Amino acid sequence: MVESSNNPRDKKLRATGYMLKPLWVTLRTMVRVSLPGHRPRTIMYPWEKSIIPDCFRGRPGIILDKCIACQKCVKVCPTTCIKMVQIEHETLGKVKRPEVNVGRCMMCGNCAEVCPTNAMIVTPEFELASYTRDDLIYDPIKLQHPWKAGYEINYEEQLPSNMKGPAAKKGSMELKDTVCLEAKKCISCSRCEKTCPTGAVKMTDTGEVNEKTKKPIKRPVFDDTKCVSCEMCVDVCPKDCLTMKEAQ
Amino acid sequence: MVETTLFSLLHGLALWIGEVAQWLIKVTGIKEIQFIGDWAVTGGPVNFLTILLVCAIFMVAALLVGITCIWQERKVLGRIMDRRGTQVGMLGLFQNFADAIKTLLKELIIPRDADKKLFMWSVTGLIGSSVLLLGLVPWSTRFFVANPELTLLIGLAVFSLAPFFIMIGGWASNNKYSMIGAMRGAAQLIAYEIPILMVVLSIIIMTGSLNFNVIVAFQQTHMWLMFPLFIGFITFFVCGIAESERVPFDLPEAEAELVEGWQTEYGSIQWGLIMMADYLRAYVVSALITVLFLGGWDGPTFLWPEVWYLIKVFFVFFIMIWVRSATVRIRTDQLLKIGWKRLLPLSVVNLGIAVVMKAMGWF
Repeated sequence: MVESSNNPRDKKLRATGYMLKPLWVTLRTMVRVSLPGHRPRTIMYPWEKSIIPDCFRGRPGIILDKCIACQKCVKVCPTTCIKMVQIEHETLGKVKRPEVNVGRCMMCGNCAEVCPTNAMIVTPEFELASYTRDDLIYDPIKLQHPWKAGYEINYEEQLPSNMKGPAAKKGSMELKDTVCLEAKKCISCSRCEKTCPTGAVKMTDTGEVNEKTKKPIKRPVFDDTKCVSCEMCVDVCPKDCLTMKEAQ
Repeated sequence: MVETTLFSLLHGLALWIGEVAQWLIKVTGIKEIQFIGDWAVTGGPVNFLTILLVCAIFMVAALLVGITCIWQERKVLGRIMDRRGTQVGMLGLFQNFADAIKTLLKELIIPRDADKKLFMWSVTGLIGSSVLLLGLVPWSTRFFVANPELTLLIGLAVFSLAPFFIMIGGWASNNKYSMIGAMRGAAQLIAYEIPILMVVLSIIIMTGSLNFNVIVAFQQTHMWLMFPLFIGFITFFVCGIAESERVPFDLPEAEAELVEGWQTEYGSIQWGLIMMADYLRAYVVSALITVLFLGGWDGPTFLWPEVWYLIKVFFVFFIMIWVRSATVRIRTDQLLKIGWKRLLPLSVVNLGIAVVMKAMGWF
């Protein structure tokens, strides 16, 4: 219906290409769809659910037994929606476990990715609507979710942008931040030993003796195989003598 | 035997109401107001009441058909796109009423710098002219509101009021998009008025009348005008789609270029009424095509003529939906080019064919 030109694109706009072909396509579709036995593609949502892909990331969930309260998820959360709270558990006793404000959560799955023990998982739950904002704050008990293979995030390979050395699995030794001790500042308070969730820190005698108190001086020694580089010892150190050394 | 028309049927009802009123006044026994009861059964009030009843019943029926057109469009588009259309109520028939309630409950917003009176009155004019059109198209020889000699002329005159209201509405909104959309809409409507008039002229030449009843009677005795005037039929159909601002000629509300065209600033029930008016005009176009080309209420006698009329109207509207689903919106220059360079010559050719047929004495 447009004046003819040499441009091949204009052929689409002529009467056959513009009117007759689309009319034929729509008529064919309509007849095919209207025949008995055909079901429209519409998903009747409240009654039917769409099939969720395996890599779907819904709200975070937690397995309380696995958690070591290392607070890595709290530190990594980009929207700061995770908070550590103390709970009273039947078998675990008085422990600290993360609490997630799902209303603020952006379902990035970073907490599950960073978790050293795979206690934090991503669940396929996405229907999170509630009548109040308070209902959206999931305490550790409410946050629990039965584990199923595939809920935790394990990167087999690194992203190209992060590729510095060979590919490393989560928890492997090669690419892990380690704690560095500045021995001069240390006052042997052994707080790092008490806070370490994995028992990687041990106060050991250095052989020297304090001249004033005549007691042996103790310094922390870090067991890198146990360490999950959660930085809790760094945070708790009163003299800032501990720092994280980045993985090379 | 006089055929029972809607008017004569309701005339009896109005007379009965008048007699009941007369009896009620007589029962009171007050001598001073007896003359009111006697007056209630005379010709004047009974006729007036009859006309009111006819208008009410016909308008409700026509508006229901308009609403059914919206429902039909949604369902058919759903089928074409392999999805479910409306689902509220039985077969999704109540979705339109739910939407009407929803638009009614919205806030009516008038722009601060708009010309408020014109802003409101243009909607009134548009919906008024559209509803007036409903009463002009008869469903059969017995179901109609008015049957003047020049129905077709009056109908087209009312139909061509739309550019005026669109222009006013777009100007009064005090918005550039609305203004440009209104100008484009007016240009489109005026460009496509002329081929419609030419085609209608050919029908007037063929049938020798402007009255729908005569036109349909002509088609009943000869043949449906669709066959001799096929070019005119196609031209009228395309122009009718453009006149009712439907895809692919929905440039006045091209949301990609002009937000929502001339109706950008209209919200709430005003928007609802404008949409309703659009669909009523589309229904009127379908009805005109039915009456002028498809033999109106002509059909085998096992169904009522009104049913035949409705079947044809819905079929024409279905084709309009089908075209809508298949085509994409065209550019302004293409639109005007098609209007002036293709459809106008085609309508002139059609007029020539009609004149030749009449002159040769074939009809």
